[in-house]
Amino acid sequence: MKLEIITPDKKLFEGHVKSATFPGAEGSFGVLNNHAAMIATLKNGIIELIEDNNTPHQFPVKGGVVEVYKNNVIVLAE
Amino acid sequence: MPNLKEVRNRIVSVGSTMQITSAMKMVSAAKLKRAQDAITQMRPYANKLQEILQNVSSSLDTSENTYARTGTAKHILLVVISSNRGLAGGFNANVIKKAWSLIKNEYAGQSVSIITIGKKANDAFKRTDYNIHGTDLPHGLNEVFDNLTYTTVAPIAEKIMGTFVNKQFDKIVLVYNQFKNAAVQLVQAEQLLPVVATTTPGSTNATDYIFEPSKEFIISDLIPRSLKTQFYKALLDSYASEHGARMTAMHKATDNAKDMLRDLKISYNKARQTAITTEILEIVAGAEALNG
Repeated sequence: MKLEIITPDKKLFEGHVKSATFPGAEGSFGVLNNHAAMIATLKNGIIELIEDNNTPHQFPVKGGVVEVYKNNVIVLAE
Repeated sequence: MPNLKEVRNRIVSVGSTMQITSAMKMVSAAKLKRAQDAITQMRPYANKLQEILQNVSSSLDTSENTYARTGTAKHILLVVISSNRGLAGGFNANVIKKAWSLIKNEYAGQSVSIITIGKKANDAFKRTDYNIHGTDLPHGLNEVFDNLTYTTVAPIAEKIMGTFVNKQFDKIVLVYNQFKNAAVQLVQAEQLLPVVATTTPGSTNATDYIFEPSKEFIISDLIPRSLKTQFYKALLDSYASEHGARMTAMHKATDNAKDMLRDLKISYNKARQTAITTEILEIVAGAEALNG
């Protein structure tokens, strides 16, 4: 699935990932391929990604919101 | 006839002024480029945020929100955004004029307070009754332009929004130069709070989203976020406008200096020619007198 992390200043990440774990407002949750459409808010924490080629990434965020729609994940982070 | 030495001095001074103005123009052009990039960078974020916000609020009554409190606006806060430096044409004067016209006309008879961002607006309002010195409010915000990122702007925006939430002010208006292009800036008075509902009919998205944790929670999280983005955008716009305005002003100044230099050169050459002619005349006349 395609994932983008956008902040007001720049684009932090854009690429295809296997899985992503987000610090949700009410507990952390993971997103895999073919996840149902969802909008969720994030709290202070770390976003963990695993790219298609198995490269892991970590992005600390102060908060934000995630939209999952048809294998497109867009993270608006702060 | 102008004195030769005087003209030479003026040529030197106009020449060095021209050098300064053309250097300032170059600097502004480079900074303008960076400011424009920042605006372009922020656009996808702002658009997506707006889209999600609309998506969530389409089926929800958002008028019951702390940020949407309406009623008679008695205490009004103007946030006047200017630049720290001058020599930018009418950039600062226009913003200050707009703020005064708001005070005198639209908000006449209401209590108006002002927060300034940028040294020029601060200079214009610091000795008036409108400027606030309260410690709970952000002040001395002139350094924000030295490092204009979302991280530095967000806390300021939060404090300003806080004054609305705790009912210190009933209405918050941003006065700033909106960036149209390098040559054109539009002075805007934009209402930050209470939130102006932007409903675009026809954009009803039929997607069934799962809302985590709940619609209400997401809305209450997103609205302040979008306000902060709006505030940040105003600052970015003002910053880009400043450099656009300065670039245009300095371009004109350089052109004027060029014209002046040309005129001065002509009058310098004329004066020199006259001096030579007089000298030859004197020599010839002297020789003639000896011969005669």
